[in-house]
Amino acid sequence: MALLQIQEPGGKPARPKHRLAVGIDLGTTNSLVSARCGLKVESLPDETGECLLPSIVHYADGGQVYVGKRAKAMALVDPANTIVSAKRMLGKSLSELRTLDHYMPYEFDATRDDTAPSIMTRAGSKDPISVSAEILKVLKARAEETLNGRLEGAVITVPAYFNDAQRQQTKDAAEEAGLNVLRLLNEPTAAAVAYGLDTADQGNIVVFDLGGGTFDVSVLSLTRGVFEVLATGGDTNLGGDDFDRLFAEWLKHQAGADGLSEGEIMQCANEIKHRLSEEEAVEFTLASQAMTVTREQFAALTSEPLERAMRICRRSLRDAKLTNEEIDNIVLVGGSTRMPAVRVAVAEFFGREPLTSIDPDKVVAVGAGIQADVLIGNKSENDFLLLDVTPLSLGIETMGELVEKIIPRNTTIPVSRAQEFTTFKDGQTAMALHVMQGERESVADCRSLARFTLRGIPAMVAGAAKIRVTFQVDADGLLSVSAEETLTGAKAEIQVKPSYGLEADTIKSMLQESQEHAREDMELRSLREAKVDAIQLIDAIAGAVVADPELLEEGEEARINEAVAKLIAVLDEGSSAQLTKLTQSLNEVSGDFAARRMDAHIGRALQGERIDGV
Amino acid sequence: MRSTQDFFSLFSLPHDFDIELKTLNARFRELQVESHPDRVAAEDEATKLAAVQRSSLLNDAYATLKSPLGRAAHLLALAGVSVDEVSQADLDREVLFEQMQLREAVAEAPEGDDGLAVLEPLKKEIAARIHQREQNFVQSLTAEDLGVAKRVFHELQFLHKLFQEIETSEEQRLAY
Repeated sequence: MALLQIQEPGGKPARPKHRLAVGIDLGTTNSLVSARCGLKVESLPDETGECLLPSIVHYADGGQVYVGKRAKAMALVDPANTIVSAKRMLGKSLSELRTLDHYMPYEFDATRDDTAPSIMTRAGSKDPISVSAEILKVLKARAEETLNGRLEGAVITVPAYFNDAQRQQTKDAAEEAGLNVLRLLNEPTAAAVAYGLDTADQGNIVVFDLGGGTFDVSVLSLTRGVFEVLATGGDTNLGGDDFDRLFAEWLKHQAGADGLSEGEIMQCANEIKHRLSEEEAVEFTLASQAMTVTREQFAALTSEPLERAMRICRRSLRDAKLTNEEIDNIVLVGGSTRMPAVRVAVAEFFGREPLTSIDPDKVVAVGAGIQADVLIGNKSENDFLLLDVTPLSLGIETMGELVEKIIPRNTTIPVSRAQEFTTFKDGQTAMALHVMQGERESVADCRSLARFTLRGIPAMVAGAAKIRVTFQVDADGLLSVSAEETLTGAKAEIQVKPSYGLEADTIKSMLQESQEHAREDMELRSLREAKVDAIQLIDAIAGAVVADPELLEEGEEARINEAVAKLIAVLDEGSSAQLTKLTQSLNEVSGDFAARRMDAHIGRALQGERIDGV
Repeated sequence: MRSTQDFFSLFSLPHDFDIELKTLNARFRELQVESHPDRVAAEDEATKLAAVQRSSLLNDAYATLKSPLGRAAHLLALAGVSVDEVSQADLDREVLFEQMQLREAVAEAPEGDDGLAVLEPLKKEIAARIHQREQNFVQSLTAEDLGVAKRVFHELQFLHKLFQEIETSEEQRLAY
């Protein structure tokens, strides 16, 4: 029989070998790796049977690098050489890091640029990418040992609310660890996949993901194996830590802080929080004072962050154009969803009990493992497809420091969108492009992702050149931008590797503010537009007076100059109404001159000359 | 001028404003299952790039046809009418005046719950108007009266924008 088994050259072997691919949940507190083991996808334990790897890296004397529990043990002993929350630092500038509440006992590398922070350790300068890569290396080694083979690919999860910078750096870390990244997958989507495959194959799902430091919510619809994310929202500064902090403040107030360090109180708060997930009330001693706290008390003290999370939920449902009643399943993800108050609030809001059958600490990794198995090409009966969205709007800076949105948030990816822009001044041959991310209308309130310049635009009058700017977001949620002058084909493009950090604020507040400031933004926009109109008219008139002085009538130039001067006087301080009014009077004063120029130029055009000077 | 790709035929749908959204959604999913970059995640770069482009096109086409305004603009584009260029002739004076009045009513709605009581009926009224104008649009398109169709389209643009503004206004009052 063997002779009859002829294989075509280059064809696939009759029985394809199972290819090894893993899912990795690179978490703020803990990381996990999962893979298909027989029929099921499971998270892989280390030699002691533990699946969770603390996301902590210690650079030891003698050059060794410890990751996980061993590193965690060093966090209090040698904090300067033990990096605890690399994930929080990904994609952030140093000035941004300084505004985080999180305690960071590190010395930052002074030779590095503000946009590329790095920590001085005894093993040298280490940026958050290399630190994350150390964690990934350990998980890779664990998987290769358990699965007994070389990994061909990995799916790495990221918070849905991660911006372009944070995604890019996560991918860089995976590559530094020697992993072939099949896909960056949003954490809530991964969780939905983990549940979606054993529950009904139709319906709307909400994933409520409350971790230690971040909150994500995604609304998905599942139809015959296709998961379509309808909307996603979140807050990169909302998590279990906020509950600890509020409770710690109360503890301090009740017991007095005498003789206790900030760290000790926080630890005590955290412990009591955990115990209250198991017990109705907890008795404890703090600063030699015996105390009791009930679930109810704890919930009342920590209601603010939970309310914030529920508001974001409401907003995402609205973005998805669904009502609470239309949600068929709610998936809970993240350790903080173990808090009874969170479960009660979620169940009340949606009017049904959330799904909790998969360990909330493992559900994301399991979903990523399922996706990795599908992406690497191992055929499974539960073949499925994920259609995810962009969490934040992407746009470009236009005149007047305004942001023109090109791809709005919650657009399905991959996506390619183009928009045409034009030159602002006569004879302009280059155009600076500034790529922005965020929901607000003004440049200062959005995140700057990159700047680049398109050169070689042929000199023309203002507004004649056509510059086509194309935004492409791939299936990992990563952006690239290209610009082309359509007449000559002059081109420039950039893979957006972010270069600028957000000054102080986070994405969450950017989104919230965009709501609060919608009206203010509109006024600002009309003011800036009025200003742009004014400048354009002044420029055009200045050019015209120089080009065709013979067409000016006696006294006309003086009248025009006077109107120009009045307009210039209010340019910086004036209101939009003032600007519009004075622009209008300048238009009136110069109207006849413009008409004469038009006639003259048409005359010349008829004689074979070009008309673009009009 | 770039030629307009026919999104309706991409999904094997008739050139109609009143398409079955369920069918559109089902076709979109079928095509994405075939074309999505996830299908070729382990292949070479060129194959992946082709998949990204095809999948992006499908997403764009789907988003366009899913939205009533996008669908109307696309039908006009296929008939050779660009909606990007708007001239004075495309805007009825009466329509503009009416829009201004409606807009003022939204802007003047009181803060808080009282505002919601004003906004809700306004929203209903605009939704009804949108529905009526959509029918006018279909009629003029069927009659191949493209000038009228374009005018109705621009009025629809106004109405949708206004509808969105009301929603934003409501969101502010509901403290989303």
